[in-house]
Amino acid sequence: MKQQHRGRALAVLAAVLLLAGAALVVGALHYQQHPPQPPAAAAVPPAATAETRPTPGVKHTAAKPKGPVLPASQPTHLDIAAIDVHSDLLQLGLNPDHTVQVPPLGRDSKAGWYRYSPAPGQLGPSVLLGHVDSAQYGPGVFFRLGALRPGDQVSVTRADHRVAVFRVDRVVSYPKDHFPTLAVYGNTSNAALRLITCGGKFDFSTRNYESNIVAYASLVTSRPA
Amino acid sequence: MKKSLLAFAPAAAIGLAALAMPGTASAADGSSFQANLQPLNHAAASGSLMLQLNGSQATVTEDVSGLAASFGGKPYPHVQHIHIGGMGQCPTTAADANNDGVISTTEGGAAYGGIGATLSTSGDTSPAAGTTLTVAPSGASYHYSRTFTLDAKTLAAVQSGNAVIVVHGLDPATLSKTAQGEKSDLVPSLPLAATSPALCGTLVASQMSAMPGGAADTGGGSTAGLQHEGVIGAGTGLVALGAAAGALALRRRTATNR
Repeated sequence: MKQQHRGRALAVLAAVLLLAGAALVVGALHYQQHPPQPPAAAAVPPAATAETRPTPGVKHTAAKPKGPVLPASQPTHLDIAAIDVHSDLLQLGLNPDHTVQVPPLGRDSKAGWYRYSPAPGQLGPSVLLGHVDSAQYGPGVFFRLGALRPGDQVSVTRADHRVAVFRVDRVVSYPKDHFPTLAVYGNTSNAALRLITCGGKFDFSTRNYESNIVAYASLVTSRPA
Repeated sequence: MKKSLLAFAPAAAIGLAALAMPGTASAADGSSFQANLQPLNHAAASGSLMLQLNGSQATVTEDVSGLAASFGGKPYPHVQHIHIGGMGQCPTTAADANNDGVISTTEGGAAYGGIGATLSTSGDTSPAAGTTLTVAPSGASYHYSRTFTLDAKTLAAVQSGNAVIVVHGLDPATLSKTAQGEKSDLVPSLPLAATSPALCGTLVASQMSAMPGGAADTGGGSTAGLQHEGVIGAGTGLVALGAAAGALALRRRTATNR
């Protein structure tokens, strides 16, 4: 009799272990988080867009900006409802090796404004940066930047209590070793925004992402904060 | 690794509280210029150049591609300069005065002016080095980076928007038969193709006050690869134990049933 009980107990234990183990593995696999990458279609701007480039070789002394332009004012806060981003903005400078400074890699990562770029709303490419993730704490403030699509709205609150409202033109992923500096940081004919984070494959040996995701946006309007 | 990251946390908190990261002082003192290089004379090339000015010191970074690749079996040398004193523009096809299908350096002069500085790979950067092939970057595509001092005239031209970047050296095969037989207007011992402009762009003030050098390091990798490895490992372990227990239970049943 005892042998039968032991046999049954073992079978029950086996079932419990199998179920528990399977639940853990399935659960862990289900909760994997990977940053969304923009599809090729998101790299193409819609037909009517304010995004424009000055004509090369021609003097621009009296060139009129296309679309609205705001005066200079430091940005303080960023809201992107489409990807649930709400962040105060740090000010970022340049590293000694002339790469752009990035916010600290902490648990509560904030986005930052590259302060040697135009202020959001001014004529030219205003640059905002944020981490896609940290080394330890999971997703960062720009984790879902790759999920932005043309037409999504980006709002930047400025120190002058105006909110600059931008519309996303395109979202593109670039390999870092082929980063198109002039396309991202070069002059524009309108008040523009560049939101930058990391993307693509992560190189575990160098602990670096191989690509940057850049969302290009154009100022469409502004309103009081 | 965990310990060092935790040690960084208070510093990060201070950084956040200050809401500004200290950067290099020089970035705010200087000014930034850019040139979008467009092809001339049917060259299939493109490129861009950035010039960061600190006082009279210029740091130039340039990327070009699609130029003529070789000359006499060796990489094609492309002499390149900052031109000044013209109209601060690139020439149009109307500048081809002798109608040979090529705008020579001289013919383009009215638009972009004469040589203010030579963008050589080493040594002299004055106009005197303008046609020294041995210090010209070469090949179909290259990355050029150099810091040097501008003379007063060139500095003034850059600051006033009068400076034009010109990269020379065409593929002779793309020229008309007539032009292929012509000598260079600058160096008669060389063919016209060797010194005629291939890329041109006006140097305009950047809307950035300091241009960053390329990509941004905005990620640490904790959402890359397989996550929650500990849980998966534990789960797999439990499954293995369960399988072992199950196998044992089955063996006992077969044993008792005999």
